[in-house]
Amino acid sequence: MDNIKVGDYIIVQRQNYTKLHKLRSHGTMALGSFIIEMDNVIGEKYFDTFQIKNVPNTKKNYTLEKIEDLSSISTSLNVEQSGSDNRNIEADDNNQTMSSEEINKLKDEDLSSNNILEKLISNSKTFNTKTEYSQEKYIKKKSKKYFEYIQIRKPSIRLLAQMFYRQDPAKILGIRIDYLSQILSYSNIQSEGTHIVYDSGTSGLIPAALLESIGANTCGKLIHMHPGNECQKVAFLAMEFPEEQAKRCINVNLYSVLRHYHQTETKGLKDACDRDVDKQSEENVEMKEYEELEIMETENNEQPEAKRRKLDKSNWQVDNELACKLLRDGVHSIIITAKEHPQSIVDALEPFLLPSRNLVVFSTFKEPLQELYFHLKNDLSFLAVKLTTNFMRNYQVLPDRTHPEVNMTHGGYLLTAIKVKQ
Amino acid sequence: MSFDGYKTVIKEGDSVILYLTINQYYILEAKNTAVSKKGATVQNIFQTPYGPIICGDLIGKLYGTKIQLKKGWAYVLQPTPEFWTEILPHRTQIIYSTDISMILFYLELKPTSIVVESGTGSGSLSHAIIRRIKPSGHLYTFDFHETRAEVARNEFKDHGLGEYVTVQTRDVCTNGFGKEMENKADAIFLDLPQPWLAANYTTQVFKKSGGRLCSFSPCVEQVQKMCAALSNLGYQDIQTVEILQSQFSVQKKKMSVLNLNILKTQNDGKCEKSEKEYVNFITSVLPNSLPGHTGYLTSATFPPCY
Ligand SMILES: C[S@@+](CC[C@H](N)C(=O)[O-])C[C@H]1O[C@@H](n2cnc3c(N)ncnc32)[C@H](O)[C@@H]1O
Repeated sequence: MDNIKVGDYIIVQRQNYTKLHKLRSHGTMALGSFIIEMDNVIGEKYFDTFQIKNVPNTKKNYTLEKIEDLSSISTSLNVEQSGSDNRNIEADDNNQTMSSEEINKLKDEDLSSNNILEKLISNSKTFNTKTEYSQEKYIKKKSKKYFEYIQIRKPSIRLLAQMFYRQDPAKILGIRIDYLSQILSYSNIQSEGTHIVYDSGTSGLIPAALLESIGANTCGKLIHMHPGNECQKVAFLAMEFPEEQAKRCINVNLYSVLRHYHQTETKGLKDACDRDVDKQSEENVEMKEYEELEIMETENNEQPEAKRRKLDKSNWQVDNELACKLLRDGVHSIIITAKEHPQSIVDALEPFLLPSRNLVVFSTFKEPLQELYFHLKNDLSFLAVKLTTNFMRNYQVLPDRTHPEVNMTHGGYLLTAIKVKQ
Repeated sequence: MSFDGYKTVIKEGDSVILYLTINQYYILEAKNTAVSKKGATVQNIFQTPYGPIICGDLIGKLYGTKIQLKKGWAYVLQPTPEFWTEILPHRTQIIYSTDISMILFYLELKPTSIVVESGTGSGSLSHAIIRRIKPSGHLYTFDFHETRAEVARNEFKDHGLGEYVTVQTRDVCTNGFGKEMENKADAIFLDLPQPWLAANYTTQVFKKSGGRLCSFSPCVEQVQKMCAALSNLGYQDIQTVEILQSQFSVQKKKMSVLNLNILKTQNDGKCEKSEKEYVNFITSVLPNSLPGHTGYLTSATFPPCY
């Protein structure tokens, strides 16, 4: 596997918490109450574990030190003596004899969660009288707060989807991983064909997941339609697709591409599409590089405005033309993950869907999909129209203590249907 | 031959979905002849509730078009792994599309992945794996039941998927996955009564860059043993989930509204019955009885070793 390098998107994992970060040289990252200098991960390998260490003579700054011998990390403390129940424990906040200043001092001196924990425990009047269960709970809670080890992971669709959903489901329109997994299978997407996704804001997750299923060095294409000037693409960039693959995702504005399709004369369009292909890809490359630059160096954006306009414009046109050409041949799936009511979007896009091919629409609300259900059945030629919802539960699995997790989330709704020829 | 990629025209030998209604669909082979039970070659005729269909007549028709039958019409569709899971001949318990979708997702499969699966069973999951990993990925699937392995192998071939899959007869719990599989896989999937026994052999099977493992078990005791085994073997991110899907019946409803305001004013009671009012609404209801459990999915990451 490649080494970690400047410019990479990395996922920093601290126990169950994950955060996406773009590595720059001399960059820092905020993680909980820590501000961490990230330079020490450069050149190391994905999956390596690092210890968060205080930078001497600073209060809040931390650095990372690679852990060579993982066996030195004892994840659980040896806890002896445990009460069989908690009858001697009183609800008392003063059970901890260390002050918060003392704890903070400890944190700044030598951040080792085990050390801190040991001190916390030995300064706790009641720890040894707690049941094993509550001891474990206490350790879990405290070690989470002071846990000083992180692991660097390479972004994957799974890690990104779980991360976004945990941080804020709204970032990905509330699409939980089970719905995402079903979008990928019920659309019947595979390495070939042309696929349309209309996505009104999942931080780039849905187009990235679809392009991942289409694969590298294959012939499948994705037309990614979005409502704004620029599409959201954090997840897409984080996946760092090879250029060959990334280029097969054509990003177009929904209005602009449909206007182009309906209002550009067929003849003119054909001529435009037959233009030198090399030139197109050249422009694409230039544009991609430019975009990347823009993202990386937002703070010092000195690109002449005029040149930027020109590049933008020709890029749109090329992409619209490319997309329209593909649309003319028909598509092999349509996926809609929209904030807007899906019916008019389906009406506009379904004529491109080939017979025997699938439509998948996700919504956080049931009502728009109910309306779409009847519309598809009564007014359009679709069959096997299905409206479904999921129930998903995570489990704590431990010897003699296996049970569903205390909290669960509720998902959304999925409508699937198959297009036929009347 | 019609499971690989997207097809427009029905060719001879294609498997075709004949779709009558949401609960009535069948798979048949677009072939002029079939072999009867007595071993004789006969015309290939398929009986449906709407009347018989001569399968050879489907050759040359377009997928997604309408077919006239004696007592109604049907549509011909290209089969998908989801259709196949619904209508395949069961040789074993199978995994259904809801769990299958999650398994593919947890295994992080894409069109280059090398996947190891055991047992093959009825090949329900295998079809979905193959769709996600072709053209350059490969599925190695193991079952210790000779006939099951053989039937699955022929099915993959008949479906045009032969080049993407290798079926082997092997007891993976006692003999592991074999020398040839060492350092080969990106992903491993287990659907076995005692997955923890096979788990012992999984660590050699992963590429040096590590990979993902997923296991399906109906019972919680199996999950406990499996999670303990995975943790001992150095797996990370061990997670167990349960997932169920329910399908709504979407209905247009009409509800009568009683006009009770009328009672506030003096009235001789004559018009009460004649003035019936209704409201129309759309609603979705879940069936009275739902599947409440299929199995637990345990997934984990095997870290790279350098
Ligand atoms: C429940 S079925 C698998 C179903 C399959 N996942 C599907 O979706 O069609 C379990 C299979 O595992 C096979 N099996 C059980 N123990 C095995 C072992 N030790 N080695 C290999 N295969 C085994 C059985 O023969 C059976 O076909």
